[in-house]
Amino acid sequence: METLRIRDLNFRYPLSDKKALQDISMDVDTSDFIVVCGKSGCGKSTLLRHMKKNMMPYGELAGEIYYRGKPLAELSDRMSAAETGFVQQDPDNQIVTDKVWHELAFGLESLGTDNKTIKRRVAETASFFGIQTWFRRETALLSGGQKQMVNLASVMVMQPKLLILDEPTAQLDPIAASEFLKTVYRINREIGTAVVMSEHRLEEAFTMADKVAVMDEGRMIFCDTPEKAGIFLSKEPRNDMFYGLPSVMKIFAETEEQGNAPLTMREGRIWLEGFLKKRMTGRAEENEDAEDREEHVNAEDIAVKIRGLRYRYDKGSHDILQDTDLEVRKGEWFSIMGGNGTGKTTLLKAVGGLIRPQRGNIEAAGKIAMLPQNPQALFTEITAEEELLEALYYTKASDSEKAEKIEKTLELMELRHLRKTHPYDLSGGEQQRLALGKIFLIDPEIILLDEPTKGLDAFFKRTLAGIFRTLTSRGITIVMVSHDMEFCAENSDRCAMFFDGEVISADRPEEFFSGNNFYTTVSNRMAREWFPKAVTYQEVVECIKKAI
Amino acid sequence: MVRPYREVKILFRDGLGENSEFAGYHPAVNLTYFVFVIGITMFSTNPLFLTASFAAAWIYSVILRGKKAVRTNILFMIPVMVVMTLINTFFTHNGSTVLFYVNTNRITLEALVYGFAASVILSAVIIWFTCFNTVMTSDKFIYLFGRTWPVFGLLLSMTFRFIGLLKNRYREISDGQKCMGRDAGKSFMMKARQITKEISILISWSLEASIETADSMEARGYGLKGRTFFSLFRFTAKDRAVMIWTVIFGGISLAGCILKKTVMYYYPSLEFPQPDMMTAVTLTAFVLLIFIPVIIDIYGEIKWKRSESEI
Repeated sequence: METLRIRDLNFRYPLSDKKALQDISMDVDTSDFIVVCGKSGCGKSTLLRHMKKNMMPYGELAGEIYYRGKPLAELSDRMSAAETGFVQQDPDNQIVTDKVWHELAFGLESLGTDNKTIKRRVAETASFFGIQTWFRRETALLSGGQKQMVNLASVMVMQPKLLILDEPTAQLDPIAASEFLKTVYRINREIGTAVVMSEHRLEEAFTMADKVAVMDEGRMIFCDTPEKAGIFLSKEPRNDMFYGLPSVMKIFAETEEQGNAPLTMREGRIWLEGFLKKRMTGRAEENEDAEDREEHVNAEDIAVKIRGLRYRYDKGSHDILQDTDLEVRKGEWFSIMGGNGTGKTTLLKAVGGLIRPQRGNIEAAGKIAMLPQNPQALFTEITAEEELLEALYYTKASDSEKAEKIEKTLELMELRHLRKTHPYDLSGGEQQRLALGKIFLIDPEIILLDEPTKGLDAFFKRTLAGIFRTLTSRGITIVMVSHDMEFCAENSDRCAMFFDGEVISADRPEEFFSGNNFYTTVSNRMAREWFPKAVTYQEVVECIKKAI
Repeated sequence: MVRPYREVKILFRDGLGENSEFAGYHPAVNLTYFVFVIGITMFSTNPLFLTASFAAAWIYSVILRGKKAVRTNILFMIPVMVVMTLINTFFTHNGSTVLFYVNTNRITLEALVYGFAASVILSAVIIWFTCFNTVMTSDKFIYLFGRTWPVFGLLLSMTFRFIGLLKNRYREISDGQKCMGRDAGKSFMMKARQITKEISILISWSLEASIETADSMEARGYGLKGRTFFSLFRFTAKDRAVMIWTVIFGGISLAGCILKKTVMYYYPSLEFPQPDMMTAVTLTAFVLLIFIPVIIDIYGEIKWKRSESEI
């Protein structure tokens, strides 16, 4: 018997003339792992919410949903609460209580379980999720990754048969995200809970999924194995979702090979070796490596110059920044990468003037503005347009001048069609752009970005990259802190690693990544034996095409 | 080898705080103890009881909070006591022993002594409450309320959660504003406008976020009938022993208190209580009651140090 059976599901939100879901039929079998993907706003969340009785949105509904053979609507509230787990996007908002242990017990308390049973269940759950060492901590003091792990654990403690996750890793940095996804995979494989998850990070999700469902404008256009999904999305004309595919699959698709696509880096490497052996023409020994990229930055002017920066949060702690030196040129897009807690964000805050370093100096040629990690931290108005006007509050200009500026910014941020929308109704990527627009309006010459690609799908990332490019071409300098290696490799002018309070190995991306062994893109790892300087998937594809 | 002097020195530096031995006992034990001690202290005017309570409060607060307690106890309590004594001396004219006259007002010995005694009561109670604050952490409160009324326990827990959350969020917002070059500025109007803006962002953000919190609660069955309340506290044999001790000696002290053995009359003239049998019993019981945490904490600390040095 399937865990969930959906037949001809149609749904329309009140006051909307477009259907949010159209003719959706799908099965979730026992212990299935299904990844739902699609562009932002395609109806993924709406679909997932229909899978749990008390999460269903209000609106016009037609079609049938069965949970283990019974109509979902007839399921008792108690059963629904216990047997279907639901984890949402934001790690903070889902936490209800002040202590980790209490949060884990919350669901069981609701069900009226007795103290002894709760204790046992909480104990075993905490052990499974590796929470035991911070079991008594306050929830407000946890990191984002830990918070989301608590959210997952506090659902799993009720022993659900079906686990629904709505973009659970969108707010996490890639390292925490990867750990989270691995835990979800473990739940599926070791406990047998069926999983339905919507996700942007397909690179990892694809290797875990039994089935991939692709949604577009409320329809489910595809639902089958990940290998087939890769082929489906690679078909011309390219679906927007193509850019979200794992790099290995993209490279495979671009070479127009037939057959089953490789999924993991390892499979990709094996495939590429065979492929090159088979197809390489003539001079097999001397592959042409990727060409050096053309330089965007010509100016030698320095925009930010940092010398001997030292900072520690309080007297007793160690130095987060230790004699940090850094030079960023004008009009450059500079990316800083590095592990969690190394002090990347601290460095950015020091440059942005949010903290005052104890020693060293920062010279900046021009006004600095910083984009906060959560765009909501900037929103005060009720429409996107007014939001931008608010940014000009202290600017001395006539109304018509202001209106013109806003118009230009809307254009630049590709938000024209959303000018009357409430900022909170925008998707993550759109909010990010609106916040960037606000920052842009105060005419900064240097923009600091902290994880700007967090929670964005591949398509929105491309849009964002385009906007950043436009800004740098106007002479604005961008200093970005990011974990997103693919994004940094594809777009930045120079990359650097931040480690132990210092900026190490600042270099052009092709040099930077080809010099690294662990800290490099999947494409580079897959093809480095043949094309060490090819860092992005496009470069690898070019090299392969040249070689054959 | 235990060297008591060094142990005590270390103990006094920062205090044991909420990790002290007594604070590790069951919340019901902690609460019962403080109810007895603070209750009886408030109604005791007998100098013997006052001295005992005041001394115990001092020692316990120093054990709990170390140097900080010494500082507040001296810098805050002594001025309070002096002022209170003076006020009573100069504004109360009861009493038979006149010391001197200010204008036509009698300044009496009784008023002076009573003012001092009252100030000792007040500062003892205040110090007891600082100890109470350190020992009774938020989760103990939540537990005590949650046991009798689960929903209220949850409400408290959510409140404590929201304090942390809102603090973090507000910091993020004000950083975000600074990122835009919006510093609070110098003039009062600018500052007021900026703070209003930040609070308005905080409210709309939090309201938006609370929808998700409500979803998450409902998804985990909030609102079903028969909610229980979970806690990590266990009532062990140790707790039972200390509870019995507290109730026996607290009970005896309370009985003595009701029988007016802990009071002394100051007006019209100082009337020192006769040292009768019942007073002696009450005092002994009271001392055995109020020094419970001091004994438990010091004993626990010595045991801990000993086991540490054995490793």
